[in-house]
Amino acid sequence: MKKSTIGILAIAALIFNACKNDQVNNVVVNPNDYNVSDSGNIVTVKNLPADTIIGINDTTGPYSAGKYTFFSLGTNSKIASTDSATSNWDLAFSGTTIRINGGTSGPGNGGAFVYTGTFDALTTVPVDSTIKVDAYPTYAITKGSGKGWYTYDGPTNLIRAIPGRILVIRTADRKYAKVEVLNYYKGNTTPFSTASDSIKTFNARYYSFRYTYQGNGTTTF
Amino acid sequence: MKYISQTIFLLFFSLSLFAQQDTASTLFSSMDEVVVTASKTATKLGNVTSPISIITKKNIQQAGSLRLKDILQEQAGMSITNGFGAGIQMQGLNPDYTLILLNGAPLVGRTAGVLDLNRIGITNIKKIEVVKGPSSSLYGSEAMAGVINIITENTGDKKIQLGARYGFGNPNSGWSSPIGKNVFKNSDLYFLFKTKYKRAIIDLSSNAFYLDAISFRPYSSERITQPIWRFTNQLSISTPINNKNNFTFLVRNGYDQIKQNFAVNNNGAVSTSYGKETNNDLNINSIYKHAFNENIKSSLNVYATFYRGYQKLNFSNKPDSSYIDEFKQHLYRAENQNDFKLKKMLVTIGAGYIIDQAYSTRYDNVESRKQNQILYAFAQHEWTLSKKLIFTTGVRYDHNKIFAAAFSPKFSFRYIANKSITIKGSIGRGFKAPDFRQLYLNFTNNAAGGYSVLGSIDAIKIIQQMQSLGQLSEIKDDYNKLSTLKPEFSTGINLGGTIFFNKNIQLDFNGFRNDIDGLIDVRQVATKLNGAQIFSYINIKNAYTQGLEFDVKCKASKTISLSTGYQLLETADKDELANIKAGKVYTRNADGTSRLLLMNEYTGLANRSKHMGNVKITYENKHGLFINTRLIYKSQWYVGDRDGNGLLNINDENGKGYFLLNMAAGKTFNKKLNINIGMDNVTNYQDVNYLPNLSGRMIYLSINYTLK
Repeated sequence: MKKSTIGILAIAALIFNACKNDQVNNVVVNPNDYNVSDSGNIVTVKNLPADTIIGINDTTGPYSAGKYTFFSLGTNSKIASTDSATSNWDLAFSGTTIRINGGTSGPGNGGAFVYTGTFDALTTVPVDSTIKVDAYPTYAITKGSGKGWYTYDGPTNLIRAIPGRILVIRTADRKYAKVEVLNYYKGNTTPFSTASDSIKTFNARYYSFRYTYQGNGTTTF
Repeated sequence: MKYISQTIFLLFFSLSLFAQQDTASTLFSSMDEVVVTASKTATKLGNVTSPISIITKKNIQQAGSLRLKDILQEQAGMSITNGFGAGIQMQGLNPDYTLILLNGAPLVGRTAGVLDLNRIGITNIKKIEVVKGPSSSLYGSEAMAGVINIITENTGDKKIQLGARYGFGNPNSGWSSPIGKNVFKNSDLYFLFKTKYKRAIIDLSSNAFYLDAISFRPYSSERITQPIWRFTNQLSISTPINNKNNFTFLVRNGYDQIKQNFAVNNNGAVSTSYGKETNNDLNINSIYKHAFNENIKSSLNVYATFYRGYQKLNFSNKPDSSYIDEFKQHLYRAENQNDFKLKKMLVTIGAGYIIDQAYSTRYDNVESRKQNQILYAFAQHEWTLSKKLIFTTGVRYDHNKIFAAAFSPKFSFRYIANKSITIKGSIGRGFKAPDFRQLYLNFTNNAAGGYSVLGSIDAIKIIQQMQSLGQLSEIKDDYNKLSTLKPEFSTGINLGGTIFFNKNIQLDFNGFRNDIDGLIDVRQVATKLNGAQIFSYINIKNAYTQGLEFDVKCKASKTISLSTGYQLLETADKDELANIKAGKVYTRNADGTSRLLLMNEYTGLANRSKHMGNVKITYENKHGLFINTRLIYKSQWYVGDRDGNGLLNINDENGKGYFLLNMAAGKTFNKKLNINIGMDNVTNYQDVNYLPNLSGRMIYLSINYTLK
């Protein structure tokens, strides 16, 4: 029953799109490119590079440039690293580390905690929740396999975002947002365990995530 | 599923309508055939109270099987696992939980719990008996899913037999000429000599097997040859000393040499390593049997087995260094068994002592000997209430020197309801003692990020030491659960039976459930400063496997017989199941967004196919000609997490279900010359990632000649 409904909807969508495409220039988005799309109140970011691997040293292994990528949830855009000491950014990404603009990480009023549940179920920030700030070497968004938003599996050398983990963010300017990390690898796709090490290494550190930003300062999404 | 089984039943009922009555059937095992594995005493098949199946020499020959793996993979409910060699998964349990015996004595030398079935040549054996369900009440550790007993021949006829086989294939193109470039060849030679000297029966056999194994270089679909040589030599002498005493001596040696050539990719830097692996098995078994009178019999069995696995690799970029991996296991066993036949009762009492020793480069030091001593006693009472009803009660106690003792009771029955229906049921406890690896492993994989796996005995010591040196970044909660490992225990229930629809159709069926407590699992217990993980072994998981199995054999005409087998399997980790029920587990949609995981999306333990089956059709006439077709099916199995929730569900990485088609034909001339041809994997099915050991289509010709 469900399947046939989906089927009909899919066909309908196809027909609809086919007609639409006659008039509108179709822009094909490469699934591996950095891309920000906005639908209603949910913004989806694909392939945000987070200090990606740029080479492999024979003795020390893979290396990166060691730079964070800064992102503003209010403006839906990357922020230049020259603005790292300002309150222009809300999240900073490097490898599996996600910093908020607050505490030891930045001059803003940022904070965060990790919520367990689905994105849709989180309609308001629970009143009893504790919003933490970064206090180097610990972070508001806890690092470590199984502790925050991801797990790391040594034998297969893969990072997987844990489903049902939502990052509740207080932005630099005290607004609230809920963020769900979708994937840590290029193309929003985790490599297979049987994939080569070089694919696992070079496709890593490309964040795909979605978020809802509440610009009015309330804690309701 | 319902429809499939209905269809199959209908098929066999319709076949039975035109089936001709024929008394001589080679398809069915006679209920009078004597089997030994189920009760450790010679018992008629019809009286056995546990699920048992027999693979005969003829089954093995007609399938063209050379190694134990070849024939087991064609049996219903037996799945071959990949990784650390070919292992056997029975009743949904890992290879660690099936005991493999040679004439009733255990084979040793497991890597990560897997006894590689390719190590065991089956060219000169009499039969294989497979008992399913816990059999620890007789055999002790490892007999949780069941027991596979390889029984060698020991008959009095004099003969010399010579056999040769040549096979070839090309997995890349699917077809090939028998010789030439890029052809993967295998050849097998064997020699068998049976004679009688005075009253002694002497049986000597030798087998050499060569195989161009198809090695898939890790992370590429490139295939290279990896020549393997396997040799098996066996000598058995059996002599009646007088009419009350009998002595049997068996020595068997297996030697494998596998050439290796790997390309290891370490974070993008490829290094080639080359070398060889050798496996050496030696089994020496002597059995002395004494009959006090017709009703009291006693036997003394002294057994020793030695295994050595050795691997040496050199690296192309570091010619001066080499990697050596060595594992040695020595097991000595003395066992006494006494059978008392009373009116309507058979009482068996036995006791034994085992010394089990291991050495490995993967422990702290290859010179340091790890040893366990096991003292055990068992008793079994078989009570024939009437011709219809037999009750068997058994119990065994294993006292281990280095970990907790195990107590294994079992109760089973067989009831003949009427001429055509026999019912069997059993409930028993199985156990598996922690193996040396789980206690003493000290392994760091420097080639893959430097993660370590430590045996439970060493883990606490090493982690405390690292902690005091400041080499750890964290200690996980699971560290506190580390303690001396206990054996893993299971309770197994089997209920089934046999239905003879008429002389030509036989249905064997069995339902099973195994509940395993304190399953040992590898858990992360700490993290090093560089982020590398430290794992160890903990008695932590509770799981179950349950399923239904049936096997139908049908003689469609005087020459044509059919058989089909099927197993339905469900498995689960009980804690995972509870978490899903409690709504604590999420999964991801295709776009990466998460949602709650539904109960019916859970797929249970890794590497289990829900459906497995086979259909075999054999034509055989009285002139010694046979043709057979064997179709084997395995449904999808899940191998690894993909959605990040840490358990396996329909959104995770899986191997695709597949069919394997094998065919063979042969003819015997003058009862002396036998020629067989065959084709394995007719459809050339391959799956580089998930079935790395499945080679492509292979064609073979074998000839053997018997001199009487």
